[in-house]
Amino acid sequence: MNTPADDDPGDLRYAEYVLGVLDADARAAVEREVTADPHAAAAEAHWRRRLLPLAEEIGPETPPPQLWARIRAALEFDAPADTRGGWWENLRLWHWLTFGSGALLAAACAALVVLATHRPPTPPIPYMAATIMQTDGQVGWTATMDIGKARMIVVPAAPQPVRAGRTPELWLIPPGARPIAVGLISTRAPMTLALSASLVARLGPTARLAVSIEPRGGSPTGQPTGAVVATGAIGAAPASALRLVRPPQRSA
Amino acid sequence: MNDTSTETDTLEQLLVRTGMRDRAAFARLYQQTAPRLFGLCVRLLQERSEAEDVLQEAFVSVWRRANHYNPSLGGANTWLTAVVRNRAIDRLRQRRETTNVDPLEFERVPDASGGPAAHAMASADYLRLERCLEQLDSKYSRAVRAAFFTGATYKELAERGQVPLATLKSWIRRALLQLRTCLET
Repeated sequence: MNTPADDDPGDLRYAEYVLGVLDADARAAVEREVTADPHAAAAEAHWRRRLLPLAEEIGPETPPPQLWARIRAALEFDAPADTRGGWWENLRLWHWLTFGSGALLAAACAALVVLATHRPPTPPIPYMAATIMQTDGQVGWTATMDIGKARMIVVPAAPQPVRAGRTPELWLIPPGARPIAVGLISTRAPMTLALSASLVARLGPTARLAVSIEPRGGSPTGQPTGAVVATGAIGAAPASALRLVRPPQRSA
Repeated sequence: MNDTSTETDTLEQLLVRTGMRDRAAFARLYQQTAPRLFGLCVRLLQERSEAEDVLQEAFVSVWRRANHYNPSLGGANTWLTAVVRNRAIDRLRQRRETTNVDPLEFERVPDASGGPAAHAMASADYLRLERCLEQLDSKYSRAVRAAFFTGATYKELAERGQVPLATLKSWIRRALLQLRTCLET
């Protein structure tokens, strides 16, 4: 029998995910994998291209006219154009991070000033790093960003355990803007996350990283829905962090 | 936000600009794709008000996640279809316990003839897939089509088709492997 997948048994899971035959738990597991691993994302995207054209058989239906208004309302498009409205006001949880840890804030400000005054306009900083501190004052994770390769390595330091069925999700918060999902991370293992070009463009010393606790598979809304447990400012990477993204050469 | 979108923009351009927070591009993206995507929601959920909820959630998610769209991994149409279909399937899983098992449904899965794709609308990708589906054992292709158009799990499909679960799984897995080979050649 023609079974070319013998060399790649995992590939079939992405096909089953795209086709939609997996149960909720198995779907969530594939989603996690696809979010965290660019190879899995590419394999899943390949199955989308193979199978989803079948949707062309389904005839169009006119959605009710008020649906667009509902979408605009859900996105607060018609709210006053104050970037600190809406979502920010709901997040009193974030408060501690601005006012609760004075020393960290001072350090971050100092780093910011140094970066702002000494950073030449070009070329861009090739590596950046963030120490993501938890509410308990412990370092939860460290993140090192390799701009050239458009990836981020997130290493757990002493993260608080996460209860079953939940997963930590990493967010980028550009100044004055809503959080952008970066990817799901682990409390145990280092994760490498691929960064889209638009995400790379928004990394910088005025952006922050934050971790919220989300349902398995990540936030269902595209915005943080669970408790924010850790956050950190982005700065230039210390030399010690670069070992992660530039492993020593090994002889073959 | 700049209103720079024009009638001639491709869906890919509109989606990329949506990722850059261009509301005009997002509105045009909605205009151009909502009827097709709503049809998909109605088909999977079989219930219009729930289909409306899912389409709304999906477009909210499109606005928030469009900056993750990577054109090198596929067209905008495919990306949008995946976002909407995944939402709809997640919704089906949530209401799984209340779903009535309809043993006839498996047999009532439509075939391609007479669908919109039978006409000039069909893409080259669709025609290739359809050719490959036709080459499968008919019970394999029926199972794949039942899965695709109902969003049902292996277990639900086995119940509806009155086929042992292991048999149904092996039909679909073989079908997927054969499709992969067929589509690569």
